[in-house]
Order: sequence, then C-alpha cells, then structure tokens
Amino acid sequence: MSDRYVVSRGTKRSIIKALLSVLLTFAVTSVILLMSNVNPVLAFIYMFQGAFGDINLLSETLVRTSPIMVVSLGLAVSFKCKVWNIGAEGQLYIGAMLGTIVAIGIGGGLLSLLCALFVGAMGGLCWAAVPALMKVKLGINEVITTFLMNFVGIYLVQWMISYPFRSPDTYFPESAAVPASSALMIILPGTRLHLGVALALALVPIIYFLMERTTFGYKVNVVGENPEVARYGGIKVGKIVFASLIFSGVLAGLAGITEVMGIQYRVRGSLSPGYGYTGIVVALLGNNNPLGVALSSIFLAAIMNGSSTLAWAMNIPMGIVDLMQGLLFIFVLASEPFIRFLEGRGVLRL
Amino acid sequence: MDNRPSDPKKEDYAIFLKEITKTFPNGTVANFGITLGILKGEVHAILGENGAGKTTLLRMISGILKPDSGEIFIDGKSAKMRDPMDASRLGIGMVHQHFTLIPEFTVRENVALVLAESGWLDLKKVDAKIVEVSEKMGIEIDPEAKIENLPVGKRQLVEILRLLCRDVKILLLDEPTSVLTPIEVDSFFRIIRDLKSSGKTIVLVTHKMKEALKISDRVTVLRGGRVIRTVPTTEADEALLASLVVEGLAAPPVVKRGTPGDPILSIDSIIVKDDRGRTAVDGLSLVVRAGEIVGIAGVAGNGQKELVEAISGLRRVESGIITLSSQDITNKSTRFIIEKGLSYIPEDRMHRGVVLTMGIHDNLALKCIERPPMSKNWVIDRRSMINYAERLISDFSIKASDPCMSVENLSGGNIQKLIIARELSNGGTFLIAEQPTAGLDIKASEVVHQRLIDLRSRGAGILLVSSDLDEIIKLSDRICVMFGGKIVGEFFPENLDLERLSRAMLGAE
Repeated sequence: MSDRYVVSRGTKRSIIKALLSVLLTFAVTSVILLMSNVNPVLAFIYMFQGAFGDINLLSETLVRTSPIMVVSLGLAVSFKCKVWNIGAEGQLYIGAMLGTIVAIGIGGGLLSLLCALFVGAMGGLCWAAVPALMKVKLGINEVITTFLMNFVGIYLVQWMISYPFRSPDTYFPESAAVPASSALMIILPGTRLHLGVALALALVPIIYFLMERTTFGYKVNVVGENPEVARYGGIKVGKIVFASLIFSGVLAGLAGITEVMGIQYRVRGSLSPGYGYTGIVVALLGNNNPLGVALSSIFLAAIMNGSSTLAWAMNIPMGIVDLMQGLLFIFVLASEPFIRFLEGRGVLRL
Repeated sequence: MDNRPSDPKKEDYAIFLKEITKTFPNGTVANFGITLGILKGEVHAILGENGAGKTTLLRMISGILKPDSGEIFIDGKSAKMRDPMDASRLGIGMVHQHFTLIPEFTVRENVALVLAESGWLDLKKVDAKIVEVSEKMGIEIDPEAKIENLPVGKRQLVEILRLLCRDVKILLLDEPTSVLTPIEVDSFFRIIRDLKSSGKTIVLVTHKMKEALKISDRVTVLRGGRVIRTVPTTEADEALLASLVVEGLAAPPVVKRGTPGDPILSIDSIIVKDDRGRTAVDGLSLVVRAGEIVGIAGVAGNGQKELVEAISGLRRVESGIITLSSQDITNKSTRFIIEKGLSYIPEDRMHRGVVLTMGIHDNLALKCIERPPMSKNWVIDRRSMINYAERLISDFSIKASDPCMSVENLSGGNIQKLIIARELSNGGTFLIAEQPTAGLDIKASEVVHQRLIDLRSRGAGILLVSSDLDEIIKLSDRICVMFGGKIVGEFFPENLDLERLSRAMLGAE
C-alpha cells in the first residue's frame, strides 16, 4: 500500500491545537505553583523524573498508560461518529466486575483469563448498549444517559463487592482475588509491567486499521461528518451510531478487566481513579486519531505518576493531577475557537 | 481593456476594486489583478463560468475574505474590512447563493438577528421596520411565518428584506435566480428595478447571460479570475457575451427523443406527508419507462421534494405502492433501493450530496464502498478508491488537483460534477435528477444535459425534477405537471401549449 501520506491541513491543525493546549496547561499550572511558593521549573523536573526517571518509574507510567489508552481508543471511535460516550467509567467497572466473577468461577489457567477478558469486554458492551438503544430507538441524548449510567454501574459494583461477592478473607468491601494462574503475565521481571500493556499498544494499529481501512470506519466517518449524506448513501445511521457506542463500551470493559487481571487482582471501590473520564480528555487531545490518542495517553499517565513524586518532593497536594487534567480539558475545548480567532486576526495561517 | 476605470477616489463609484488578487491555501488563484468600478445606483452584473472567481470577489467586497493584495474603495474611500461587520457598517450587504436564514426561526426573528445592536430585543420595533421595508418593496411578508415553511422565492425576499432593514446601500447578490421559477424571477427583477430607482447600488453575480442582459446596466465578464471586459448592457448581446465568457463555445447539440421501453418505476396512488405531518403527495400515480426522461414541472413546494424522498426511501409512504424494476420498494431501506438500481442527484448538494470535509475519493465511493473492488470482506482497498476517483475526475472533467483533496475546496459546479459522476457511474437503471443544473453555467449545464441524454439512450429511466422549464422542455420525453401533490397534467414537448402548461403549474387546469 504505497499511498501518499501527506500531513493534511486538518492533521496539522489538530497537532497545533494539542500542543497549544498542553503549553497553556503548563503555563497556568506554573502560575498556580508560583502562588504556592513552588518553583515551577523544579516542579516539572520532578514530575518528569517521577514519570520517566528510572526503569521502575517508566514501567509504572506504562502500567498507568494501559487502561487510559484502551478506554480512550474506544472513545475515539464513538467521538468520531459524534456520539458522546461519557459513561466509560461505569462500563469499565461493570466489565471488571463481571470478568472477575468469571475468572474466579472458572478457576485458574489460560481459559480462565481468556474468558474473563471476553466477559469483561461484553460487560462494557452491555452497559453501553442500554444508552445506545435509548438513543437509537427513542432519540434520548446519550450524553445524559451514559453519564448517569456511571453512577448506577459504580454503585452496583460497590454493592456487589460489599455483599454477594465480598471476599470472605478481608475486612474491606472488595472481591476475592482472581486465581494467580489466570493473571496477566509480567513481561519485565521486577516490575509490574504486564502483558496487558503490550495488548494496549497492539490496539493502536488495530484501531487505526479499523478506522482508516474498513467499511465500518468509513461509515463511522460519514455518519459523524454528515448523517444526512449517510442516509442518502444508504448507510443505516442508527446501526452505526449503536455500533460505535457499544464498541467504546467494549474497550472500556476491557480496560477494567485488564486492570484487575494485570495489577489489582481484585475489584475494589478504588479500581479506577477516573480512567473513564481521563479517556475523554485523552481522546479529544489526540483528536480521535489512534496515534494521537496513544501519545496523549502516555502524557496523561506521566502527569498522574509524576505528580506523586512532585507532591512528595515539594510538599504540595496530589490535587495537582486533577488541576492539570481539568485545565487540559478546558484548553482542548477552547483551542478550536482560539485558533480560528488567531486565523481571523491573521496571526496564524494554516 | 480600453475602458478600464482609473480613478478610485472618484465619487461616482460606490465600489472601486484596485488590483485585487486572491489565492487560496490550496494554491487556486481565484482572482488576479482585478480592477473594476461599480457606479453608484447601477445594477452591475458580473458574468462568468463556474470557478471564474465571481463568488470570491463578492466575498471580498463583503468582508468575508481578505484580498492578498490590492485595495477596495467604498464611496471613494479606501476600506480595510476585517470582517462582515465592517462591511455592514459601510452599508454593504450580501445575499449568498446558499441562504443564511435560520429555518426554525420566524421572519421577525431572522430580521431581529441582524438588527440587535444594543442587546435589548424590541420586537415591536422590528415589526415596524419589516412593515415599513416590505411596503417599500411592494411585497407581502408575514413576520410570524417560519422560514422553513416559506417557498424558496419568499426566502430570498426575506434575505433582501433583512439587508434593507439594516439600511444597506450596496447589495451583493450571488446567483440570486438559481433557485427561482420563471414567474418568481420576473417579480424578483421588478424588485431589483425598484431598489435601483430608490438609489441602491446592486452587484449581481450570475452565469445566465439572458438575465444579465435583462436586468443590468453594465456587465463585467470574468474568466479564470481576471476581468475580460466591462460593457454597457445596451451595447451587448448574447453572442458577444458568450464569446467573452467561454473560449470555444460549441453549438448545443440537437436532442433526439428517446424510445421508451418497459416501465422501470411505477408509482401507484401514494400518499406522503411532509415534515409537519400534512399531506404533501396526495394519491399520485406515475410511470417512468426504460429509455425515457419524464420531467416533473411545477412550482416549488407542490410535493416534488416529498415525492423524491419517498421514492428514494428517505421518507415514509403512508399508502400506495412504489415498484422499481418490478420489485416492491415501498418503505424499503435506502440501501435496498440503491441495490435495486436507484441513482439520485439531490437538489441540496452541500447537505445531502457530499460530505464536505471528506476527500473526493471518499465521496465518490459513497455508494459502492461495500462492493469489490472498493472493499472485500469489510477491508477497504484504498488504491482502488483512488484509481476510481482519478478515472471519474478525468471522465467528468472535475477540476481537482488531487483525488484525495477534501471536497470543501471545490467550487459549486465541480461539486455537482462529482455528484453526477458518482450517480451515473454506479450502474443504476433509474435516476432521479433533482435541479441538476441549478447554479451551473452554460457549459457545465450542457455537459450535464448530455450526460442525462446518454444515460437515457443506454436504456435508463430518468425522473427529472426541475424548476427550470427550459430544461424540462429540452430534455423530457414526457412532462408531468405537479400541483398540490398530484399530477395535474401530462404534456409532450412536441407541439407544446406553453400557456396550458403554465396554467397547469398554477393549478388552474
């Protein structure tokens, strides 16, 4: 396949948008750090060291990247279709819970692992299918339903780990541990780097292929850009909207169960520190492009992990993570109108 | 170039353009060294083919685009316009080819949109302004009518009324008649003349020579982004203008009538409702045979749109039966109907015909993406898509530098060529052509007509829905007049009684 791979105007634009958002996020964070009498340059150096400083820290950042990347690759597909799935967090928890039940039920071994991954993905699918059906059949806005389904999902899982599936051997509400023989293999001895990270990375070219080289990706694009043309062209718009939403649910569920099988080995209330929401920022920052999403995932994971080093070294609260993530979100959303403003003033020519 | 205006500061000029050049980011030179003076109180027609740079020029005068070099003088003073608001303050207003009214809003609300200056909305004041201006224009407009419920001709008047409510002195009109019926064009021209006599300056962009001759005081011909010549209309005729507009214009070919065969499309007493739930197609029956062009004539808004959407599966049929190639397609999916041989050139090409942000190759493959060679087992063969696009670009002479460039960089005429290329190349046996030449210039229209005739000669059935009566008469083997959701008359282009046809169109037959 020797095609011309020209960086299109749209791609250039989205790269500039992403860089601008990141730059502004660091700028505003610096101001806030200065106000707390912290040297921002030093702070960011600590942050960088905390994320990439040695092989252990680097592997921890990759471990952190994995669930974010899997979730956001799925969200990128639904966002491309202009279907706004805000419910990845709930889909992630449901996937993790159902997968864990299956892993424990089957016992150990590869079969147990594979079944757990499959059921986890299906759990995310089912949780996304509810708002997807409501959107396609009844015309109910998916932003509201997917978001609210998060609470239903997360509290349902909390109840399950508090009562029916509570581990008999701990005092905390958490599920029993999955059998050690069904866990995802550690690929770098001495670290927590597990096979799930490699699987997450393998998803990047797969999603790229899906979006750029399959009729499904083509249809998602057309529906997202102009549903009227899609209808006219004989594309079943409802079907594609449904498919793209449940697809993002599948990956969210998969992210949840890999987090259990690779890192936590149990379902806890603290399984995800908001990966489902972080995924939204990541997908937008990466402009729904698989490669962009992959880079953005690493970036967000680095901020998360680097911040703990920063917090410990310079004695500032961990809330810096939420601060930066929030700023990033705002700047990503604002970057399009801002760039258009710059173009209008003739400052920027794209 | 003998009558080139020279003094931009002269007070007689409402607009003076000095050496205007505009190049688009994709490298297209839309305007090059344009020097042109528009006199105060004149109707000035700018005539030219698609892609001659007419619309770009208007957009620069109205502040939407900025020239790369050159200067614009308004009333003798150099004007640096950064956005349309600057142009508006100088008394310049533009009516775009694709309307900018909000369909869900009423006339009053749409007018209020451009009047709201203080942030305080005084609807009484708006109403008073509408009444004042519409009386001056000699037209009747209900301020409470929703735009989407108005016929296209009325919408155009609302666009103009809206500008006049803002006390615009210079009106820029981009292809204003492309969506109007002959009757509407006449009354539209009356309004243009009234506006002129009340002292407005009017710049009218068109590709129709007849209209330029009929309405303007002077005509400027653009070709390839340059001014070819400006002539007083009294000294011009069609032959002269034609020779200026295009080099090497071929004589229109003689259209031979087709030899109709078996029925391809049969419609049996269908009832179809419009968006508001009112009956738009009312027990209509119609047959289109193989090798036949059936023209649907009629004033816009008599159920043509709903009829077309019902056939193509985009709108529910309440009762009745539609068959295509002897298969029942009533209320079947669009996908199914396309597979049974439907091709469809839609009227609203920007919103229904193409995805503007996607590539030419993507748009050309819209209806064959699931078939080999475009894809096999869900996997797309990009090479085939590009090859296919390259072939159609050359077959249909679409002006495009790259088969993957996004469609938004093409001119309106080239977008239409792209749609026609797609629809005529997917092996359909039945074609709906809805306003296929609206907004196209003579040469491009001629190409479209020839394509339709070729398709008919190859045995396809064509349903031609057009508000251009000349086009219907020229191409159709049979003309059906639609009024109030029914076919109220059938005519044959030979020995056509134009008066009876017109009466039928107005529902008086």
